[in-house]
Amino acid sequence: MSSTIALGRRSLREAVRQPDALFMTMFIPLFFLVVNTGQAADIFPSDVTEFLEGQGYGAFQLPITLLLAASFGMAAMFLVEEIEDGYFDKLRAIPIPRYSIVLGRLVAEGAKGIVLSSVIVLVALPFGITIASGPLGFVLLVVLSALWGVVYVGFMQLIAMKTRSAAATNSGGLIFFPLLFLTPNFVPRDMLTEPMEVAATLNPVTYLMEALRSLILVDLDWEKILPGFAVVAALGAVMLVLNVRMIKSYD
Amino acid sequence: MGARTIDSNSAAVLATGLVKHYTGSEGTVEAVRGVDLEVDREEIFGFLGPNGAGKSTTVRMLTTLLSITSGCVKVAGVDVARDPAEARRRIGVALQEAGLDPRQTGRELLVLHGQLFGLGKAAARERAEQLLALVGLEDAADRVIKGYSGGMQRRLDLAAALVHEPEVLFLDEPTTGLDPASRLTIWEELRRINSRGTTVFLTTQYLEEADQLCDRLAIIDDGQIVREGTPEGLKADLRDRDGTSEVTLEDVFLDATGRTRERAAGEVQEVAA
Repeated sequence: MSSTIALGRRSLREAVRQPDALFMTMFIPLFFLVVNTGQAADIFPSDVTEFLEGQGYGAFQLPITLLLAASFGMAAMFLVEEIEDGYFDKLRAIPIPRYSIVLGRLVAEGAKGIVLSSVIVLVALPFGITIASGPLGFVLLVVLSALWGVVYVGFMQLIAMKTRSAAATNSGGLIFFPLLFLTPNFVPRDMLTEPMEVAATLNPVTYLMEALRSLILVDLDWEKILPGFAVVAALGAVMLVLNVRMIKSYD
Repeated sequence: MGARTIDSNSAAVLATGLVKHYTGSEGTVEAVRGVDLEVDREEIFGFLGPNGAGKSTTVRMLTTLLSITSGCVKVAGVDVARDPAEARRRIGVALQEAGLDPRQTGRELLVLHGQLFGLGKAAARERAEQLLALVGLEDAADRVIKGYSGGMQRRLDLAAALVHEPEVLFLDEPTTGLDPASRLTIWEELRRINSRGTTVFLTTQYLEEADQLCDRLAIIDDGQIVREGTPEGLKADLRDRDGTSEVTLEDVFLDATGRTRERAAGEVQEVAA
């Protein structure tokens, strides 16, 4: 475990020393928050739109902003860079558990995700967005967002180790990206067209988004929150197992 | 090739019948085809061969980084396939192109490696200081590695491979691309490391380097060992067979690999540091 922590610390230093990457991680999701809210806020006035629970449309859009930010993690790109440069092999030649090499990055991504999600929520507060579920809800919101970041980076790391190519890893993320948008990200699920509603219902990210949204719009609603945590727990376990298997068989 | 008595416990590296096959869409490629190697403890052993001969593939199998199709490898008495973690504790590895984390400082990288090898934080810091002094990087210790020159990166890579005081140090083309002054510095460091009791297994494309540094060497071609012995012994052997008075290691290499000087150009180089 100590090797995982040491490698996790290194990944955090790496992230801090690449501030331009951190800036883009924050900027693009916030840009979409502003643009989407600006475009649709008049269509869904808060005083007559029931699903906004008395808040502005920005509060409804905040979950996709958090999920986008968590999905812009650079850890897999740093990993593939190490594979191409040979440092990955140097780490593999050290007598540490294989899992710690991939787990170190995932732990760091989780820690980074908590900080980034907290900053995004704090930036959103002055614009009239409130966290209706209170301080515990705030903690659950940032933890859930960060866990999604870990799942996403776990998936990207699989592509990095499989392809060993920066270009393939970069474009491989696009496979996962549509899942973020086959969700009720503009209106609640029951207001979607039927094909979209079916797609959203089958998409596990929907339950994550609905959990985040309920934490923002209403008091703690465990019926909405728990499915979100179940999704990241299940997908996280799958990614962890696949990452460990991949690095153990890496040749 | 002279017959040597193989003792699996005393040899620093012992490979028997080492084979590596790659299977792809175009069929099976036999990269290494039955390599036998024995490296004595505390010697500098050179491993030469043309591009694509199987040098790096062999080194990657010896260092646990690549699975072995068949055959057996023991490093410092440890079977690398059966107990890779124990083998990794006994070896240091610096592969082709210094593989370093460009966003860390030299000191951070050495401390991290010390910790990964089980040292406490204070001990890892102390070891990093010793190694920075050994490779002459004290002044650059707190700069990020991205800003290091090629020679500095090679020296740091060497230092990282020595963090845990390995019994056997594997170096894959450690001076490729370096200027003569940097090459000389690496040579001096390797001699100093070897004089402290570390076995050095070195691949190189520079025949002068092998001649200057190595106690013994082997030449691999097309996945098989085609010559093995001391540089002087190999030259004397060719001199006796050809009846020529002046024989260089380059002549030995060309004779062993069946190459002409024109074909070998670009594959191996005669350099003077």
